[in-house]
Amino acid sequence: MNEKLRKIKAVVMKYPILVFLTAAVLVALFFTPNFFTVFNLKNLLLQSTDLLILSCGLTLVQLNAGIDFSITSVLSLGSVLGAYLMARTPLAANPLLGICAAVLMMAGTGVVFGIINGAAVTRLKMPSFIVTLVMQMIGSGAAVLFVNSIAAEATLSATIAGLPPAFGVLGGLGNWFFVPVLIAAAVFLFSDWLLTKTRFGRNVYAVGTNARTAEVSGIPVKKTIFLLFVLCGLYAGISSILATARNQSGIPTLGDKMFLNIIGAVIIGGTSVLGGSGGVRQTLLGVIFMSLMTNVMNLMNVTWYIILLVQGILIFVVAMMDYVMKRQSAYQEN
Amino acid sequence: MSDVILKLNDICKSFFSVEVLHHVNLELRQGEILGLVGENGAGKSTLMNILGGIFPMSAGSIEFLGEPYEPASPKYATEKGIAFIHQELNLFTNLSVAENMFIDNFPTGFLGRIDKKKIRAKSQEYIDKYDLNVRASAKMGNLPMGSRQMVEIAKALMKNAKVIIFDEPTTSLSNREKEKLFKAIRELKENGVSIIYISHILEDVLLLCDRISVLRDGKVVHTDKRERYDRAGLIRDMVGRELTQVYPSVEKEIHDKVLEVKDLNCAGFVKGVSFCLREGEVLGLFGLMGAGRTQILRAVFGLDPKESGEVRVFGEEVKKPSPGECIHRGMAFITENRREEGLLMPRPVSTNLLMVKNEELAGSMGVVDTKEEAELCRKMVKTLDIKTARPDQQAANSLSGGNQQKVVMGKWLLKEPKIFLVDEPTHGVDVGAKYEIYRLILNMAKEGSAILVVSSEMQELMGICDRILVLSNGRLTGEVRKEDYSQERIMKFAL
Repeated sequence: MNEKLRKIKAVVMKYPILVFLTAAVLVALFFTPNFFTVFNLKNLLLQSTDLLILSCGLTLVQLNAGIDFSITSVLSLGSVLGAYLMARTPLAANPLLGICAAVLMMAGTGVVFGIINGAAVTRLKMPSFIVTLVMQMIGSGAAVLFVNSIAAEATLSATIAGLPPAFGVLGGLGNWFFVPVLIAAAVFLFSDWLLTKTRFGRNVYAVGTNARTAEVSGIPVKKTIFLLFVLCGLYAGISSILATARNQSGIPTLGDKMFLNIIGAVIIGGTSVLGGSGGVRQTLLGVIFMSLMTNVMNLMNVTWYIILLVQGILIFVVAMMDYVMKRQSAYQEN
Repeated sequence: MSDVILKLNDICKSFFSVEVLHHVNLELRQGEILGLVGENGAGKSTLMNILGGIFPMSAGSIEFLGEPYEPASPKYATEKGIAFIHQELNLFTNLSVAENMFIDNFPTGFLGRIDKKKIRAKSQEYIDKYDLNVRASAKMGNLPMGSRQMVEIAKALMKNAKVIIFDEPTTSLSNREKEKLFKAIRELKENGVSIIYISHILEDVLLLCDRISVLRDGKVVHTDKRERYDRAGLIRDMVGRELTQVYPSVEKEIHDKVLEVKDLNCAGFVKGVSFCLREGEVLGLFGLMGAGRTQILRAVFGLDPKESGEVRVFGEEVKKPSPGECIHRGMAFITENRREEGLLMPRPVSTNLLMVKNEELAGSMGVVDTKEEAELCRKMVKTLDIKTARPDQQAANSLSGGNQQKVVMGKWLLKEPKIFLVDEPTHGVDVGAKYEIYRLILNMAKEGSAILVVSSEMQELMGICDRILVLSNGRLTGEVRKEDYSQERIMKFAL
């Protein structure tokens, strides 16, 4: 019996978020009978796919104590650019070609953002906070401007509709429900494999723990950090594809207000803001928790602002605990 | 020049369980310039830090002007009249001269508003009084080092310092500025200020001071009038210790050159250094702090840029050295700061051991083989006798200094390099582990590696090296072969 308890304790120490998660599920059980319906769970799953992919990307960057605000603007910019290709250019005539081109364009937008972010952080030595924030502003501004320049009336809610119906497959519409889930799972599994089974993954954790030691030990620090940003951007691009497909239109405001959920999932999941520890497994749990919590509170008809408040408090508490524990162990060393 | 104004009685100081000052007794007389000399680590700075209120003593007492002196903070020391002019001046380069002078004592007006006019006026007063030759509004960062030092001295005098301690004041000064400083110090003496002057530059100490105290290994070995000393005598007192550490002896042969450095120059730190290292050789690099030893290693390994100079590894020139490139060619670098550059402290021993070998281990697609990794770790832990029960779980920061150092060495040994650059191999390591590390180094040389060891412990180098290069102020000043080893000879080159 003691052996079992100790095993449970070890798992909980490694993934502290399991405590939150259990609490959330219990709340769901008791307070929201609607939760355990197929309809609700299906919805929950679909909505989580975007969050999972974006959070995996952010996890990679955060493992190096960095941040990437621009992922939400990759969502929007990619969305409108891809939609434009599929609906407003000669490619509209050939749906298959249009879809392929759009997919490349949207993923490519993410990669380009990632390259710019990575280059600025590693070559120009700028803090990721500034770089990605600026890119976010440029990106989302560009998305709105782009749509307004081609739309009939210039309004903030203009979108690009008329996408080939086949594109909806990627968004999980109709019977293709499992497609985005599979894609998200693939992204998650790939990231996990990358971080735990490859040399690159070892390097990421080393650089995140102590970049100077990593450098002396011959690890290509700059290249590693650069790749993290590129991957994060790519993931955002993939997310853009799925979200645009689900909405069947190019939306310049796609991704607005999502950032808190994304970073919340990563932090609450247990990846340290200071870098060097955590991973996508923790983030997966974080995503489940965030989606669950939001879903449950919606079902309970809690107002949006209170949801925001609760999320904010939780993120703060977890981040602070992590920070304090890290400082404690550093202090003990001395 | 007869009254004793400052008396240090039986001062002892320990950091954790290491005692760095043993019953130090020192006297400073009214209006005298007392010189304080000693090797790195002799305890000079520690002693002065205690006097200046930076940290407390572990035992002993101090009397100043006939009253007990218990410095609890730098402010206390300043208020009592003891000023400390550090080697790195405590000045703010982005503020003006006037602001620096009043940094801890701004004249304020209503609601604590700073009275700028008053600052300017008062600082001008002091500038005139001490003949500083600077503008009150000049930004400190724009002044030459000599002038900055003068402002620092003025700051001390403003607070009515009766004792001024100078810690290595001339390291950043030009000759002319040095002359001005000495003139100022002599004037201070004439005005009744007593001075403690710490310096490595024995000529200056012999020129300036009235009496000289020599510190060695935390004890005052001798204090005497300047006239009774000469350079050789000072060196003898500084290093004359019994060699107690036992060093392993190993039979080995020295073969061809594996590393050649020609005319290495690094901005300000290293000037025209050339040397070569041979297979099977343990080459020592000795010098005082700031001589440029670590900079040489870092430049050769590609961590810091070099201005000019050629580095040849196994005969081939390394054009743009980088850690990755150097490791690829068979070099290893054990830094002096394992906490910040040698280990991933919060990570387990196994992770640390595998850091360099990682590049080699991963197969296609970069996938790592955890079984192979575990086996390599196990072997290395055994070989080096690293005291850890669970290397895959125990974090590096929970190991003792000696074991930590072994992990760092193990990390490099896994890669089987041929050339080792080692900086302070036994820094923070207990006596027992030291012996093991020396034995390790000598065995590595026996197996054919070439090792360059940088250390501030002369004994250590004499114990394990085949020859020792001495660095002073960025230049190689001498080379001493094993047959000619003597502490004085080596120290002479270093000063």
